[in-house]
Amino acid sequence: MQLFWLSFGFGLVTASVLAISAVGLSLQFGITNYINFAYGDFMALGAYFTFVLNNEVLHWNIWLAIVAAAIVVGIFAVIIQHIILSPFARRFDKTFYVLIVTFGLSLILLNVIYSIWGATVRFYSVPINRAMHIGPMLLTAYQLIVMAIAVVLMLGVHILLKTTRLGKSMRAMSDNTTLAMTSGIDTKRITTITWFISGMLAGLAGAVLGLTEGNLTPASGELFLFVIFAAVIVGGVGSIYGAMAGAVLIGLATEVSAAFINPAYKLDVAFVILILTLLFRPSGLFSRPGKG
Amino acid sequence: MRKADVSLSLKGEWALRCEGITKAFMGVVAVNGATFDVPRGQITALIGPNGAGKTTVVNILSGSMLSDSGTEHIGELEVSNWESHDIASLGLMRTFQLSRELGGLTVLENLLVAPKIQAGESLFNVFFRPGQVRREEGDNVNRALEILQTYGLYALRDNRARELSGGQKKLLEISRAVMASPQILLLDEPMAGVNPALIEKIGGYILDLKAQGMTILMVEHNLNVVEQICDHVIVLAEGRTLATGLLSELRENKEVVQAYLGEVIDASTTR
Amino acid sequence: MTQVFYYIFTLVFFLFDYFILAMGLNIQYGETGILNFAYIGFVAIGAYVTGAVSLPDSAGTGQHYILGLNMPFPFNLLVGGLTASAFAVLVALISLRRLRTDYLAMVLISLSLVLYDICNNFVPLFNGADGLYNVPAPLAGVLKLTTNSFIPVFAIVTGIIAMILWFVMSRITRSPLGRTFRAIRDDETVAAALGKNVFRRQLTAMLIGSFYAGIGGGLIIQFGGSFNPSAWLPGETFVVFTVIIVGGVGNNIGLLVGSLLVETLLVHLPAFLPAIPGHAGLIEYIDAMLIGVLLMVMLWFRPQGVIPERVRKSSALTKLMPVSSADVLVHENALNEGGNA
Repeated sequence: MQLFWLSFGFGLVTASVLAISAVGLSLQFGITNYINFAYGDFMALGAYFTFVLNNEVLHWNIWLAIVAAAIVVGIFAVIIQHIILSPFARRFDKTFYVLIVTFGLSLILLNVIYSIWGATVRFYSVPINRAMHIGPMLLTAYQLIVMAIAVVLMLGVHILLKTTRLGKSMRAMSDNTTLAMTSGIDTKRITTITWFISGMLAGLAGAVLGLTEGNLTPASGELFLFVIFAAVIVGGVGSIYGAMAGAVLIGLATEVSAAFINPAYKLDVAFVILILTLLFRPSGLFSRPGKG
Repeated sequence: MRKADVSLSLKGEWALRCEGITKAFMGVVAVNGATFDVPRGQITALIGPNGAGKTTVVNILSGSMLSDSGTEHIGELEVSNWESHDIASLGLMRTFQLSRELGGLTVLENLLVAPKIQAGESLFNVFFRPGQVRREEGDNVNRALEILQTYGLYALRDNRARELSGGQKKLLEISRAVMASPQILLLDEPMAGVNPALIEKIGGYILDLKAQGMTILMVEHNLNVVEQICDHVIVLAEGRTLATGLLSELRENKEVVQAYLGEVIDASTTR
Repeated sequence: MTQVFYYIFTLVFFLFDYFILAMGLNIQYGETGILNFAYIGFVAIGAYVTGAVSLPDSAGTGQHYILGLNMPFPFNLLVGGLTASAFAVLVALISLRRLRTDYLAMVLISLSLVLYDICNNFVPLFNGADGLYNVPAPLAGVLKLTTNSFIPVFAIVTGIIAMILWFVMSRITRSPLGRTFRAIRDDETVAAALGKNVFRRQLTAMLIGSFYAGIGGGLIIQFGGSFNPSAWLPGETFVVFTVIIVGGVGNNIGLLVGSLLVETLLVHLPAFLPAIPGHAGLIEYIDAMLIGVLLMVMLWFRPQGVIPERVRKSSALTKLMPVSSADVLVHENALNEGGNA
């Protein structure tokens, strides 16, 4: 039982990282209607920018570095969307062209990271954390901060979507882009803002992943991507709250299962859950009609 | 027995009937209890104001969409939850309101996709019964070329379907459905957006099809056309069947006139 | 026999092998419109199974793997292909019906990563990260091949296999089945409305394409004698997509051209360039980036590929048929009227 609570604690941490990244992916998907397969590499960029600011060049405090890196990735996402993704999305009516382009973008970004920082494992420069007892769970202060960040961000997204005009426009666009356009919503502006938020969340999640994993490798974002996919599909595609729910479910399930099976396969457990969902409840936990 | 193997023999008064069909999208009710019979061997019009749910009904009847409730019978067979390819195999073909040609294929190839059972679609036959495949292809090509000739598309047979004009695409829609030798044809606004000369032509084609024994249900806004070629009319409003009968009777029907308030139903002014 | 000679035949081998792989992905993506982002996984299955069945029982070899049946060439190759096919059917049954394009792509790419993860970590399966090696060279005993003559001979054998597979694929794409695939690619809803069982046809495309993937993979392990996870990172699927898109979607000759351009020039040539000192692997990284860039450039400026899909004209169809006098009359009338629309 002790083991269960320990894993549960780790599960909450994984769920936090997943929640941030899954929500970022869902927000962007809702607006653009295509999946960005380079999302994992955006996350990796966030991690490496943080590394540069924290350990390589400027020696900033880790949290400052993370925030700065997230903003940089957000800007980067907007640029990429503007120069590459939108033109392709507009040009071809079938989504699979832009999907292939994002796949290609992923390959390019991964190799850019390899070229600049190489394949050697990198580390942040952070003071050693001692694990504290939180009830039956054992967590470090940093892990708690990560969880807190996730909660704050989830609340922030919720407030954004439900109360602000921007949020309402985003939801309108997500439901029906043409209708939103004719209702006078500036879809271009909303799209740009959404990409910025999505990129920021990706960068943040990637940077934080580097913290929770304890190291950085160029492919860590890509490898995590499929866990994000699992969270999004299990939660219900197209639904932001579904992504949050899916993140918690997958995050907990992978860590708790690691207590019972070989931990090397814990991420694959996410995939098994994905397959089971497809077999028995393909629309996911909360699905939005029109997206499935 | 697979659904595709069931053969349809239509006898009796009606070819297709539906009862109590309902369908809602995200809380908005599109169809709310549509009930009607489509008489066999006749041309029936499905009319009604915009938003009455006509295209949704066509989608449900042809199997592209699942209804929330209600039943559908083709002949004696209940087909309420059948998928579109099974209903098509049975002998019901439909056209689309906005022409959906198979863009990358040539006009001829578009028709060649239509026949129901093709030996050449089985991997086994492609390699082990090439003679049979070749013969069937030959027959299909001949028939397709004849149909293209009838519909005036012969000269365009090798053009990619996406290169056709709007009117030509409409003709392609119909000729492609005809190629499948359907017993029931559902036409969704076959005259929409088409110039008057072509309207006449298409009307002629539809009458020819009726003469060949086909049952036709057409969604149509142009009441002039309806008056000229349709034997029977069904009025749909707010998702349910409002009235059925001859157009002349329906014009006297107060409810029908109400439903069309703001839309002109006097044939002389739609000319 | 000089170094250059072996190098050229190695290139020839990969030219034909990637041609086979491209044909497989083409029937899935180019002809039927299925975005199989897990394609490289099927290639790997073919490679591993072909190798594992041709190795002797694992005890005493120093490796860990399943099977180990001492199966000779070409039976091992066929088993590899069929296994990949069977796996594809399983995958299609679970995922094809329930998901639309982007979600299917998500699930498939996840599958690819998971397969990679398992093969990399679960040693008893295919020797984990070390992979299989010392796979016996095919036909060595039969043809009395030395290590010297093996490369050119096997390259030619692969070429022959590629030609046979090309012939088979040609028959399929020209048949009514091929036409149905293309109809599904253009508009699934219309294909279904015309009576086609879309799911069954997609299953067939997955089956055929994955068989080719398995064969292609099996040939790789037979040529090199080894195969390990570093050979098939999920991004490799992308290289095959690039071959198809550069060469020409839906066009078999285009695939050969694409294979020549992409695989030979971009992937293997740089492997023979000297490494830049102090930057291990930089050439490979830049190479991979170039492939990504090449794909985007092609997709933007010439999406139909170097050799576009050809229009299948009626004359090609009619000349295969016995002509009856009635037919001649129809055509003559049509020609006289000059068509009218």
